[in-house]
Amino acid sequence: MSREVDRLIERVRSTLREAPEAVPDPRLVAQLLSAVWASPKPSMLRRWLDAWRVPAFSAVTATVVAGLALFAGFVTRGVIGERPAPEPLAASGPQTGEFPVQFAAATTIDEAAPVLTQFVLNDAKAERVSLVGDFNDWSGAATPLTRLDSGVWTVSVPLPAGRQVYAFLIDGTFLTADPRAPKSGDADYGREGSVVMVFPR
Amino acid sequence: MNMHRRVITLVALALASVSPAPAFAQGPVVLRIADAKTRVVVEREIARAAARGLPLQPLIAKAMEGVTKQATGERIQVAVSLLAKRLEQARVLLAPSTSVAELTSGADALAIGVPGTMLKQIRAAWPVERSVAMPLDVLTELVARRIPAQHALEQITALMARGATPSQIASLGSSVQADVAAGLAPDAALDVRARGVMSLLPSPAAAAASAPSGRRQP
Repeated sequence: MSREVDRLIERVRSTLREAPEAVPDPRLVAQLLSAVWASPKPSMLRRWLDAWRVPAFSAVTATVVAGLALFAGFVTRGVIGERPAPEPLAASGPQTGEFPVQFAAATTIDEAAPVLTQFVLNDAKAERVSLVGDFNDWSGAATPLTRLDSGVWTVSVPLPAGRQVYAFLIDGTFLTADPRAPKSGDADYGREGSVVMVFPR
Repeated sequence: MNMHRRVITLVALALASVSPAPAFAQGPVVLRIADAKTRVVVEREIARAAARGLPLQPLIAKAMEGVTKQATGERIQVAVSLLAKRLEQARVLLAPSTSVAELTSGADALAIGVPGTMLKQIRAAWPVERSVAMPLDVLTELVARRIPAQHALEQITALMARGATPSQIASLGSSVQADVAAGLAPDAALDVRARGVMSLLPSPAAAAASAPSGRRQP
């Protein structure tokens, strides 16, 4: 079997040796090169896409890749991730001898940084008290006050610097202004609240 | 086919990496208003404001304030619509400022009756890169304590020109509040407290020397 194959190979070799040497026709070469040069060049995008090899994804791989890309998107846009820890607080005491009392963050230099502000309401009969204002979209559930043993209600919330209008919502229905603070007018709804000037730090 | 797969993969990756936050930030506003008719009308009003590029948070807060204050749907709609107009006015008057805080403060000042020209004067008193939200808030507060707007404006812009900080300007508003509550005449309270803040500031020559280049004077 092997001897027959060797003989066949030898015959092919001898035939090829006897054949005239193939010399390319210069006119054909010129025509071929002209045709190649005349053909439109692929765009940069096309060449880049041709060069970029995409592996054939399995369904599982594709899902994992899409998941990672989504996660990266959420992280880079700040939807997922650690929130900055609150800065240490240094009590500064009352600003004007009136409530609410403001506390400054020890290292705050940003004028727009929220300032912790304490609110107090003396209402021993109330069962629930919450603080409402623009800063919490007037949500009665967002900022509940804590009742102390003395019957005084209090809460400290970070507020943006500036003029803040607020009110207390008692037992979920009764809205009242802070008796210790200046009143704010209310041309829109006719229910005045209170005003606190929050100092920037 | 291979080309299609590459393009689809690229588009999918691009969408996945950029779409999450804008989708949350610009989605339709859904308000917790029990009355469906009111909710639809107010949400439409807010959508119109969004189309005009106005900040939505103050409008949402105004609508929810009406809900908490148990106002009628019609009243809530009017309040939101009026606030949108004031925000738009403030944006024009305070240009080039576009921060939510400044526009909200400007709208509040307009609501209490401060003339639009005064917003322009406040804006011109500080360089454009510096927020005028606090001076506007104090102006609003002083007018709310029944001090004539022109008098309040003069004192505030004088402090701004002398290099007062937002905290010092805030202290003016807070001190006048306390004085008026204690029975002092509003105008007198403003004069005495403005003099007190002014005494803490450097002389006009020193303030001018330390002012950044390009600073606009009132």
